[in-house]
Amino acid sequence: MTDTVDTNPVDQSSGEASSSSQRHHRRFVRADGPDKVTGSGRYTADLQLAGMLHAKFLYAGVSSARIRSLDLEAARQVPGVLAVLSDADVPDVRYSPAVADRRLFARDVVRFEGEILAAVAATTVEAAEAAVAAINADLEPLEPVVDAEAALQEGSPLVHEDWASYEADEGVIRSGNTASFSSLSRGDAAGAMASAETVISSRYVADGCHAVPIEPRAVVAQWEGEKLTVWTSTQVPFDARAGICETLGLPTNRVRVVVPHLGGGFGGKCGFHFEAHIAALARAAKRPVKLVFSRAEEFLAPDRRREAMVVELTTGLDSDGKILARTGRLVLDGGAYLADKAFFPQLAAMQATGPYEIPNLDIEAHLAYTNHQPAGSVRAPTAPQGCWAVESHTDELAKAIDMDPVAFRRLNGLRSGSTGPVGQVYGDIGLQDCIDTAISALIPDGDPDDERAGDLAEDEAYGVAVGWWPSFSMPSGAYLKIDSDGKGQIITGAQECGTGAVMTMRQLAADEVGMDPEDFELVYQDTSAAPYDMGATGSQTLFNNGRAVMAAAAQVADQLRQLAADRLEASPTDIVLNDGQASVAGTPAASVPIAELAAEAAGGSLLLGHGSAAEVTYPTVTATCVGDQGMAAWLSPQFSCHAVKVRLDSDTGVARVVSVAAAHDSGRILNRTGALGQVHGGIMMGIGQALTEGTIYDEQGNQRNPMLLEYKLQTAADGPRISVDFIESYPGEGPAGAKGLAEAPNVATAAAVNSALAKLVGTPIRQMPMTAERIWEAMQTARDGDPYQGGSENGTEQQ
Amino acid sequence: MNSEPMDDQTPSESTGGGQPDVSYPLAVNGVRYPVSAPSGALLLDVIRDHVGLTGTKQGCDDCECGACMVLVDGRPVNSCSYLAAQAQGRAVTTVEGLAGAVDLSPLQQLLLDAGGVQCGFCTPGMLMSARALLDSNPEPSDEEVRIGLSGNLCRCTGYDTIVAAVLQAAEHIDATEV
Repeated sequence: MTDTVDTNPVDQSSGEASSSSQRHHRRFVRADGPDKVTGSGRYTADLQLAGMLHAKFLYAGVSSARIRSLDLEAARQVPGVLAVLSDADVPDVRYSPAVADRRLFARDVVRFEGEILAAVAATTVEAAEAAVAAINADLEPLEPVVDAEAALQEGSPLVHEDWASYEADEGVIRSGNTASFSSLSRGDAAGAMASAETVISSRYVADGCHAVPIEPRAVVAQWEGEKLTVWTSTQVPFDARAGICETLGLPTNRVRVVVPHLGGGFGGKCGFHFEAHIAALARAAKRPVKLVFSRAEEFLAPDRRREAMVVELTTGLDSDGKILARTGRLVLDGGAYLADKAFFPQLAAMQATGPYEIPNLDIEAHLAYTNHQPAGSVRAPTAPQGCWAVESHTDELAKAIDMDPVAFRRLNGLRSGSTGPVGQVYGDIGLQDCIDTAISALIPDGDPDDERAGDLAEDEAYGVAVGWWPSFSMPSGAYLKIDSDGKGQIITGAQECGTGAVMTMRQLAADEVGMDPEDFELVYQDTSAAPYDMGATGSQTLFNNGRAVMAAAAQVADQLRQLAADRLEASPTDIVLNDGQASVAGTPAASVPIAELAAEAAGGSLLLGHGSAAEVTYPTVTATCVGDQGMAAWLSPQFSCHAVKVRLDSDTGVARVVSVAAAHDSGRILNRTGALGQVHGGIMMGIGQALTEGTIYDEQGNQRNPMLLEYKLQTAADGPRISVDFIESYPGEGPAGAKGLAEAPNVATAAAVNSALAKLVGTPIRQMPMTAERIWEAMQTARDGDPYQGGSENGTEQQ
Repeated sequence: MNSEPMDDQTPSESTGGGQPDVSYPLAVNGVRYPVSAPSGALLLDVIRDHVGLTGTKQGCDDCECGACMVLVDGRPVNSCSYLAAQAQGRAVTTVEGLAGAVDLSPLQQLLLDAGGVQCGFCTPGMLMSARALLDSNPEPSDEEVRIGLSGNLCRCTGYDTIVAAVLQAAEHIDATEV
């Protein structure tokens, strides 16, 4: 069944075959919905506390410099200023996961333009701004490292001269400006390449881009005695708490992190960011302090932008068109600090293989320190760029041997039982079904290369790409209680960032105890109320917290069955919980309302459950993984195929995506409305990355377009017609067979767009975003003969 | 070398700081609020900080995102770029003015049912633009809805569910009730 939203997604459960999926597919009601449509829901920037001060930061404003001096005295004299802090005023701590390379405030040197030199708290925004302006920072400019490939060359200036002294996890391989390195090797790539019938080399370059949640982040901090409460717009409240504790030297039980409603994240609000700065200001000023970012700050200051990537691939085919071998070299622009991305090289290498059978493999991926803004987990890190490069390369492979690109993917793509590129053996997977389904949804006769197919106009073409993405197993916990009136609460560590993943917990709990989802309210986004969860990151919420909530609810279900068994004089194993009633199996007349049992329990042993996600055993891989970060073996892997129709104005180079058909294997879909929302949103983000969204840097490493006027998101008027299918017959390790979903829809769209553009232009576009200027330039190149053909370092080399 | 705050707005541009306060009544959602604010104060800041209604959001600083959309005499305006003093004598409607005392408006309910609300940060502005559109064009086409909402950025939904909800609202209800 193909889902298009204009047919009312609420009713799309009709026609489901099994009763269990019918159960999960019932109408979804967002618990936070009324808050959000009435304006009564509070986001962090909406909070006001008595005596609250306003914070402003002084940023470096240059990408590389030595700090000669920093004079805060004049700022401290500005009326209304209660605190001015810099590096000297906070504990001497270097932090960050994997490699401790970062401080709250710059010390001695600045490594990117958004580095914080000082922070101010004042009674008004104006006073805080005046104080920031009064700070005298004497910076000696240094030559910035702005080219990630050049940064890896011998003799490049080092972004971190003293990195060897930093504390670091074992597995992280570093040297020079290499912040992290991974390789994947299997078989004999060089030998197999030498025996190949056809060998194609390609180079693709993707610019960095941004998460751009519509809510700019905000933080409010308040001390009461030795206890700190921080309200913050983070996707990962427990991570934020850990960062506060590490940098300010506090125990976890004196720090409470609360996230009011979160206005989107897309990875941009993962990690620990500015919470400790504001907490330190609040302690120094002895007043609550609030920070609210401008849009420019949201672009420039966080250490979470999507990494720019250079992808060079060489692939050898045998005479039947099967992939024999692939070698590749990837360079990721990591920016000034490692943030959370030590594992990115391995993820990028996995994207460079794609979901294909490749018996001989040799991929290396380097993450470079530069003086750009640090990159970090933005929705499916490394994947849209990696998939765009590898799928454009795949089209070049098919074209070189005159094979239909879809047939090429069917021939080489993973199928159930396949051995993947790193030697992982896959169980039942849905990639081949995704290909068939997406293509038949978009293209009537199923051949994307048939110019007469469907309703194609002369300036239109179809494009097809496949993508893949893992599900991650993480620790996660939840409590569940039902009080005397039969109403329940789920107290979960999980974080809702808009996807509906936490909202879905009501369904999972209700199914376990035989009640309605609306009988449950959620207590969430509060580190002092709930057990640990990793947060809204890695598409992990439903996959892990879903299992925790089900485990907690199962305990309460057992308690209810025991109470009902006593009441009905039956065995607990014979008690069925359904529709708000506990009844004896086969004897529906013998039943008692769950609310009555709850009232009884309230006077006795209470209805209380707790659960955590059970650890899952990861599959084994046979490839050699240097710099292994645990990302080569993929649990519950997700697959997708996006088929697009693109229209190109050949006079201007302006491309428009007319329609998209997406098919996703993300396991069992538990919340169809939410799942559709993820796929639609991911596709639109992918189109933005494909066509308009890219960070433009000047030669000094400063961003030139940190504003929405110059960094264009897709609007409602840009939207293509989108249809979505879910391939659900492949249960994984997740709750009720669900896999992750939030990131996978953001993988294949840009690649599919280039697949179509290559047909319209005559050559693939080799830089992303594929702006009108770049497309137009490629059109001239194709018209005048591709200078990249035949061995240029920038293009395709056919041997 | 100058080091400077990244937010390049001067205080006078963002908040009217340094200017004398002016006092006037401001009608928001049918209630007249006594306002005393700098003459250059923005309508967004006055609605949020003086009137105390925080449903109207700030997503950018330059009219690009639409999160701050309100109605002034029924016309949609980005309140981040509209002087509060200009709204004197006019009727301002914010998202808080859409619902009844108990029930959601049909458009609010349809938007929720369609899955058109995810993080919710763009939702108030989106609702105000949709309300203005349906007031002026009770039977819009799909394309007219998309153009009518093109000043409101949403990063979560991909817009289709929002467009579908507005079209359903136009189809099933009297536009005066949305």
